[in-house]
Amino acid sequence: MSTTQDSPTGLSKKGLSSGSVGLLGAVVIGVSCIAPAYTLTAALGPTVAEVGVQLPAIFLVGFIPMLLVALGYRELNNAMPDAGTSFTWATRAFGPWVGWMGGWGLIAATVIVLSNLAAVAVDFFYLMLAQLTGNESLADLTLNLPLNIATTLVFVALACWVSYRGMETTKAVQYVLVGFQLLVLGWFAIAAFAHVANGTAFDATAISPDWFNPFAVESFSAFAAGVSLSIFVYWGWDVTLTMNEETKDPERTPGRAATLTVLVIVVIYLTVALATLSYAGVGDGEFGAGNVDNQGSIFAVLAGPVMGPFAILMSLTVLSSSAASLQSTFVSPARTLLAMGHYRALPASYGKISPTYKSPSYATVAAAVAASGFYVVTRIVSENALYDTITALGMMICFYYGITAMACVWYFRAVAFSNARNILLKFLAPLLGGVILLVMFVKTATDSMDPDYGSGSSIAGVGLVFILGTGVILLGAVLMVVMYRVNPAFFKGDTLRKGSAPAHVER
Amino acid sequence: MDYIVGYTADERGRDAVSLAVALARRQDAKLQLVMVMPEHSPFNAVYPPERGFESILSAQLQEWLAEGLAMIPDDVTARAHVISADSQAGGLIDAAVDSGASLIIIGASSRGLRKRFNVGSVAGTLLHASPVPVALAPQGYRRLDPITRLTCAVGTRAGADEVIAVAVDSAARRKLPLRLVSLVALDPSSGADGADAAAVEAAHDHANTRLAEAAASLAAGGQVSVEVVRGSTVEEAIGALAWDEGEILLVGSSRLAQHSRLFLGVTANKILRALTVPMVVVPRSYRSDDIQSRQPERSVTKRSDAGEGRDVQPTEVSQ
Repeated sequence: MSTTQDSPTGLSKKGLSSGSVGLLGAVVIGVSCIAPAYTLTAALGPTVAEVGVQLPAIFLVGFIPMLLVALGYRELNNAMPDAGTSFTWATRAFGPWVGWMGGWGLIAATVIVLSNLAAVAVDFFYLMLAQLTGNESLADLTLNLPLNIATTLVFVALACWVSYRGMETTKAVQYVLVGFQLLVLGWFAIAAFAHVANGTAFDATAISPDWFNPFAVESFSAFAAGVSLSIFVYWGWDVTLTMNEETKDPERTPGRAATLTVLVIVVIYLTVALATLSYAGVGDGEFGAGNVDNQGSIFAVLAGPVMGPFAILMSLTVLSSSAASLQSTFVSPARTLLAMGHYRALPASYGKISPTYKSPSYATVAAAVAASGFYVVTRIVSENALYDTITALGMMICFYYGITAMACVWYFRAVAFSNARNILLKFLAPLLGGVILLVMFVKTATDSMDPDYGSGSSIAGVGLVFILGTGVILLGAVLMVVMYRVNPAFFKGDTLRKGSAPAHVER
Repeated sequence: MDYIVGYTADERGRDAVSLAVALARRQDAKLQLVMVMPEHSPFNAVYPPERGFESILSAQLQEWLAEGLAMIPDDVTARAHVISADSQAGGLIDAAVDSGASLIIIGASSRGLRKRFNVGSVAGTLLHASPVPVALAPQGYRRLDPITRLTCAVGTRAGADEVIAVAVDSAARRKLPLRLVSLVALDPSSGADGADAAAVEAAHDHANTRLAEAAASLAAGGQVSVEVVRGSTVEEAIGALAWDEGEILLVGSSRLAQHSRLFLGVTANKILRALTVPMVVVPRSYRSDDIQSRQPERSVTKRSDAGEGRDVQPTEVSQ
């Protein structure tokens, strides 16, 4: 038989992915990953609940740990490109046990955000139906528990199916989605300020310099909770930093795009935060940002009174951006699960790839099942599922990002002090960022045991957010031990060995 | 002569490999097993970002290709490679154009719930966009022996000449008996009432004349038979014919493309289901001499010619 086979390097590399993204494109990708319309509607309320009028201050401060950790993430991504990301890096740095939990944290965070994205999309789906038909009772359908759960599961299933088939959001669609989001958020802010100026605001509140002072936050608990939430609001920004060969100018585009993206985001966040506070105040009145019923999804409540008949645009932009995020977010936990299956840290079936669509088949479906399960449980036991989910999500991001940052410090320990760049990017920044996040994680976890924490849901006298957050982590620990019993190869270091960056390699 | 085999690690992929082997024997054709690696657009905005999935996927594709190659008997030359493209059909067309291949072979069926959709997507796209003939292996095709007879389905409209030319050339080269079939049912006028009966009859006679002319042009030594089949549906017409086990059906894409794009997949599906033998679809304006002497720079021109030809389909129906 005269058969030949090209080597793995024979893969023809051409087309779409390399050198196709310019500065604007990279900013669009960055903004799209952050999904500001979705993020604000989901996180603005819970953050106000924690820090009140110091919302702008927390949004500014919250960027710092994100930046510090993202720098470390980029170093790891360059040194060890791998589908498992945090899982692989933490395993390499700290061994299989910490690595497994790091991977679990990443999967849990993405699975939680999937369930929240779907739920927010469903809220705005019914709201938009109501706005389209002029029949306001349709918006209340989302409060019907069985219908809400059923619709959310349909959204999750659809996104899973699209992701499984390897369908992707195209460049043009992404530009439109991002442009539309920024436009509508700007519109919302201007309309809110106009109401304030005309004296038609719900609870006109004068902007004060104190709003920008993070030290004015009443307690460290509130500060920690606020920061862990604002980690979530910037979650996605670091995608710009990790871009490389897909950009037209790998030397400069990622750095510039990261800077420009954060400027765009900070401007839009601060504008919308100030507009919301000025218009609605932090009281617990009908439209007040301090009203716990409004905090789960602030735009669902405020877009109507602020934007009038154009509120449907807000519904459309939140719905479209969360649907797009839902689809793209499915890729991530699926790939981490795939990598864990590949390294035998999970059963080998998680490593399966669909012959037809070449996507992680088993892992994608597993992520959908997990997201659905998480949503159903949260929805049933919580009085305000969106609110509590976001708080638990903030905790989970602090957990896995903290581990990732520490993995960076430890993995590069031999080269950390070889030059000024390494001291800053491989040691100081990730160390500081990691410590901040882990402290926030521990503080939030401890505080959340209080039954009044978050939306005030609790089980047996323990806060629901604590149960959700630590429950998910404990579940991971249990599964890890089970996996160790079933197939200890990974835990013995057979598939992925502990190690560190060799000292002689200078980067 | 190179044949591109669109391989997937499932039953459909095995159908394609079997047909490829059957077609390659007697032809001394070289097979290229191609797997398409999907290109991920950075604009899909996947987060958190990672960079290792492609290497896992690539290793998996190499493993699958090795399995695919292992199915090919020793007397057939084959090699395998991975091509990166944004779609399965696009990757196969790229592979065919880049290597100057004369045929793309795919498995057209699939099992379970996705049955229809997949025939519609990959096969459908290929049938509309491929600059070279496309061979569709029916579900469960496992025959590895050489092809024993060629059947060519032709109509009376423009485009029939190309298919007949390819069929005549192919049969001569393979020294195979050729059967020319006129499927009258497929003509739009055949569904009309009695007033058009005369027109149908005229078309019928015309078809016979054309077939006879074509038969006469076949090189000496070849066997040619002519059949005219009537039927109100595709299945009926196909079902009325007797088929050899080792037969393949050759059709021109213009004949199918008179229907809308989506309908093409369904028609191909229907024919395949009724057929049980492989079907080769020849693009319009595809000349048989291209098969034997294809020059790289001409293949590009050819591709755009073919594209234009397909785009003007609707005007032909009115002729």
